[in-house]
Amino acid sequence: MKLPRGTLRKSRVVSDPRETLADVLDRTVTGYAVFESQETLLLDADGRGVVTFEDGVPVLAYHTGTDRGGPRALADLAVPGPYHVSVFELDTADLATAHEAAELRVPPGMPAERLAGDPALADSTRRAAPDDRTPTTAQTADDHSAVEAFLENEEKIAAIREQAREEARARADEWDF
Amino acid sequence: MVEVFAVASGKGGTGKTTSTVALGMALAERYDVTVVDADTGMANLLFHAGLSEAETTLHDVLADDAAVADAAYERFGMTVIPCGTSLDGFRDADPTRLRDVVATLAADTDVILLDSPPALDSRAAVLPVVMADRIVVVLQPTIPAISDGLKVQEYATSYGTGIAGLLFNKVREDERIDDVTAKTERYFDGPTLAAVPETERAREARRAGRPLLAHAPDCAAATAYHRAADALSVDHGESGDVADRFRSAVIPETP
Repeated sequence: MKLPRGTLRKSRVVSDPRETLADVLDRTVTGYAVFESQETLLLDADGRGVVTFEDGVPVLAYHTGTDRGGPRALADLAVPGPYHVSVFELDTADLATAHEAAELRVPPGMPAERLAGDPALADSTRRAAPDDRTPTTAQTADDHSAVEAFLENEEKIAAIREQAREEARARADEWDF
Repeated sequence: MVEVFAVASGKGGTGKTTSTVALGMALAERYDVTVVDADTGMANLLFHAGLSEAETTLHDVLADDAAVADAAYERFGMTVIPCGTSLDGFRDADPTRLRDVVATLAADTDVILLDSPPALDSRAAVLPVVMADRIVVVLQPTIPAISDGLKVQEYATSYGTGIAGLLFNKVREDERIDDVTAKTERYFDGPTLAAVPETERAREARRAGRPLLAHAPDCAAATAYHRAADALSVDHGESGDVADRFRSAVIPETP
C-alpha cells in the first residue's frame, strides 16, 4: 500500500488503540494511522499496522510485518499494547488510489471490535459510515470468527502468556511482592 | 471461614463492577458476602449500590481516618465497602493498608469479593489479585479482552493466586459464544462460570444506582449471574489463617 505522507497530526504512545480510534472518529479525520507495538517480544510485533480513514471511519488495514491486508491485518495487529501511534491527515483524493485495493478493505466497525474490543465504539463507527459501507453478512460472520481464529493461534497465545509471566516476575521484584 | 475472590479484567469496560455486585448478590443467598471496591483510583461500586452519598468510605479507612466498620454498609443482602471519588481521598489513601482491611473483614464473613482495577500497571492495581485466594476473570468475547484476561491470569498464577473461573459478559446474540468459551477455556485454569448477555437493563440499573439483580431480577443477564454464582465453588479457609496470612503478606509501604 502506497500513501502520500500527509500532515502529521499526532504522534504518541497509547496503552489502548481505542483512544486513537475514538479520537479519529470524533474529529472525522481523513488520512491514516500507523500503529507500532512497543512489545518487541511478541510474535507479529515486528512491523507496523496501518489503518486508513475517511471522515473518521476506517477503510483499509495493512500490516507491514506480515504483508497481510484487510481483516487479517487487524488480527496481526491485535497484540497487547502499548502502541506508538502516528496520525496523518490527507485529502480524500490522495487516498483514492489506495482505496481501490478491495482486498485491503475492512468493515467500518471491525477495527474498534478487534483492536479496541469496544462494541459500543464499533456501533458508533458503523452509524457514522456511509450507507454503501454497510457490511455484508459474510463480513459480520468473519468478524466473529476472528476471535475464534485468534484462539486457534496457540503460538501467539503462548507468547502473550509467556510475556505476561515475565512481566509479572520482573514487577514482583520491582514491587517486592 | 472465608474465601477472597478478586474480580478482575485486564481492561476497562467489561462490566466488572456490575458483575462483582451481581455475583455478590447471588452468592449472598447462600453465604455472608462482603464486597469491597478495591479500585481505589476510580471508585465505581458506590454508584452501583446506591451509596453515592456515603460519608465514610474505604479511602478514609486507607488514610487511617476511620475504622473498617464505619465504611461498611449493609445493602441488598451484602456488606458493601465503597470507595470515595475525591482526588484528595485517593491521594491520602495508602493502598497497601488494604491487606489489613481484608484481614479485618475476613474474621466475620464467608466470601469477600474485591472489585479490582482494570489494569496491571502499578502495585496498587495488582494488589487485589495478589491478596485474593482466587480470581474471577471478566471477559468480553473480543480479542483484546481475552488477551488482557490471559495477562491477568498469568499475573495471578505468578503470585500464587488461583483461577476460580471465567465470566463472559456483554455477550451479543449473534456471537457464537459456545465456540468461543470452549476455545478460551483451553488457555485458562478455570471453567466458564456463565456467559452473560448484553442488556440495556444493566445500564438502567447503573443509572438508578441499584444492582442489576435488584433492578431486573428476572432478566436473562440476572439469571446468568445466578448460574455463575452456583458454579462458583467456595473453598473456605479458616478465618484465623486468612487474617494472619493477609497481615503477614510481604507488601512494602509505598515509597
